[in-house]
Amino acid sequence: MKRLSELLGIRPCTLIYLLLISFSLTTFLVAKMGFSGLGLSLMVLFLALIKGQLVGSYFMGLGRVRGIWRWPVFIWLFIPGILIGMAFYLSYP
Amino acid sequence: MTADRSVLQSNYPPGDLAIWIFILAELTVFAVFFAAYAFTRLQHVELFNEYQLTLDREAALINTLALITSSYFVVRAVSAIKVDDRRRCVHWLLAAISMGLLFLIVKTFEYVHHYSEGINLSSNTFYMFYLSLTFFHFMHVIMGMVILAAIAVMAARGKYSRQEHTGIESGASYWHMVDLVWLILFPLVYVMR
Amino acid sequence: MQYQSQAVAKPYFIAAIALFVAQVLFGLIMGLQYVVGDFLFPEIPFNVARMVHTNALIVWLLMAFMGASYYLVPEEAETELYSPALATLMFWVFLVAAALTVAGYLLLSYSTLAEITMNKLLPTMGREFLEQPTITKIGIVIVALAFLFNVGMTILRGRKTVINLVLLLGLTGLAVFFLFAFYNPVNLVLDKYFWWWVVHLWVEGVWELILGAILAFVLVKTTGVDREVIEKWLYVIIAMTLITGIVGTGHHYYWIGTPEYWQWWGSIFSAMEPIPFFMMTVFAFNVVNKRRRDHPNKPAMLWALGTAVMAFLGAGVWGFLHTLSPVNYYTHGSQITAAHGHMAFYGAYVMINITIISYAMPLLRGRNAANSAKSQIWEMWSFWLMTISMVFITLFLTGAGILQAYLQRMGENPQPFMVVQEHISLFYWLREIAGVIFLIGLVVYIASFFVGQNDPEATTAN
Repeated sequence: MKRLSELLGIRPCTLIYLLLISFSLTTFLVAKMGFSGLGLSLMVLFLALIKGQLVGSYFMGLGRVRGIWRWPVFIWLFIPGILIGMAFYLSYP
Repeated sequence: MTADRSVLQSNYPPGDLAIWIFILAELTVFAVFFAAYAFTRLQHVELFNEYQLTLDREAALINTLALITSSYFVVRAVSAIKVDDRRRCVHWLLAAISMGLLFLIVKTFEYVHHYSEGINLSSNTFYMFYLSLTFFHFMHVIMGMVILAAIAVMAARGKYSRQEHTGIESGASYWHMVDLVWLILFPLVYVMR
Repeated sequence: MQYQSQAVAKPYFIAAIALFVAQVLFGLIMGLQYVVGDFLFPEIPFNVARMVHTNALIVWLLMAFMGASYYLVPEEAETELYSPALATLMFWVFLVAAALTVAGYLLLSYSTLAEITMNKLLPTMGREFLEQPTITKIGIVIVALAFLFNVGMTILRGRKTVINLVLLLGLTGLAVFFLFAFYNPVNLVLDKYFWWWVVHLWVEGVWELILGAILAFVLVKTTGVDREVIEKWLYVIIAMTLITGIVGTGHHYYWIGTPEYWQWWGSIFSAMEPIPFFMMTVFAFNVVNKRRRDHPNKPAMLWALGTAVMAFLGAGVWGFLHTLSPVNYYTHGSQITAAHGHMAFYGAYVMINITIISYAMPLLRGRNAANSAKSQIWEMWSFWLMTISMVFITLFLTGAGILQAYLQRMGENPQPFMVVQEHISLFYWLREIAGVIFLIGLVVYIASFFVGQNDPEATTAN
């Protein structure tokens, strides 16, 4: 991320910000175009989890932390992510 | 997804440890709420799919962008204080607060719209979850803005510096948490079907 | 003791312990009535024993809270109490009102008591835990207002610490929510709805703030850890208490005719109520581990840590057991509730009050820091006797409750209430035995105030 942002000549946090915005727009477009279905739901969920991890690592600064405090946001995304994914998986006959 | 190994600096996250304990507790409540939503939907798939379409996704998108932008501004505020630029730090914080305000306004319009249609917590299970989840989050946005306002005032009074800015980092972490929750809430309640 | 006026706390503590004894005695009477139905009938029927048992508990906890406040507020504010005379006067008003009320319960029939106290003018009687005659309730409000005024003026005049402010917030909430005891709508749903505003928002809301403040005070005093560290924890604990506790009221709204969303709100938020208690446990052990000195008053430290653990178990874990609405559907009003009630009240509120009494009493009685070694040993014995027997009371009642819920409400052939009561009588006997041991523990506790009086103070070396 750091090298890429240097390459683009912007701050790393600005790069993350642009990524977050584009992921959100993607999610919105999926909804707007009236897509639905398991695959798309899971993709949207996965995008959301990635966004969450970006916020955790870069905005909240956990990416620079050693030890257990590196992981709370990841775990928080992972467990509900699995549960939500499972519930949606089961809702498609 | 992980940062450069050479910049691993600390055993503790930025800000006060107490705010992190609080953040974790809050996140846990939301996690339970999300899982409850997903599994309840399992029993009422048609109902959830039908009423999800009545939500205003444009408004939700604006709010998502508002919160992400706001979070970004807060990151910039923390960077500013780290180079002792107090004036800029305050400006970024004020910008972040105004984005929070935008969120509140848009969300209030949504609520007014639902209210005018006679929708309330007892209308059906979907609306119960939608209103509960978003309102609980709404309260957190207000709380986060109060915290941001408090640190902005302190920063303007020169309470923070390059050496001592734990207060700003604590408030920033809380605000990012508010953003983080919305990043899951938005696709879950408005989009996934 | 740093301020003369802190001495007004002493009669409050003594009266509290006396009422504690009465509470336990009536508990034992009722415990026996569960298995020997006509024990002491018609002199003390079950409903009267129960009323005395629960009311004595509430009154002694309130008395001890007041004593604790009169002790710690001046010390935190670094000034004398605003009016020691008012505090002493209110003590006697409160004590006489409590004594008259209990005498009324025991000597008169409840309907006669209602009649002669003119309940008709403003009917508030006849509701669980709020059985007190209206006139007693008015007395409680007067005492509470005078107390708040006294404590508030002291805080206003002196140093404003976080501990004092949290305590004041808790005490104010206590007084405000009690006002709902006077609201008695005809509609039974509304009646129950607001009844919980007193009952729930006390014990799962504002009382927790009082508990947090007292615990923080004792830990500041006994460990010498920086106030800033302790205050930060206090902030986080009270924020989480309020977030989970207020909406958590919903776990009482499952089956009383309120809208369906309370099933969700109540389940989710009340399921999180153990979190602040868990934080309190972590907080207490953390602070004790970081202690800067070893305080010679070891029992006070033991009670403080005991509170942190037992409150989490009793209020947190045992509350969680039956708080989710699908579970509560089967366990509502069963012995599980009684199990939770016993350990939560003991672990959170009895123990925090004994903690502050244990810390303050030696000082109020002229010691420099602590009692003699002998007295401390007795007190620590009482800690273990009472705590362990309470664990057993809880476990036996939990066993009874699980069996009760199963036999009476689940399975192929649900059995009638009284038939099931026969089946679980063994648990009731065991509970009664544990109760007797609890009483022995309480006697040892009281004895600890009298043994080793002439011995020198314990030092940190022992």
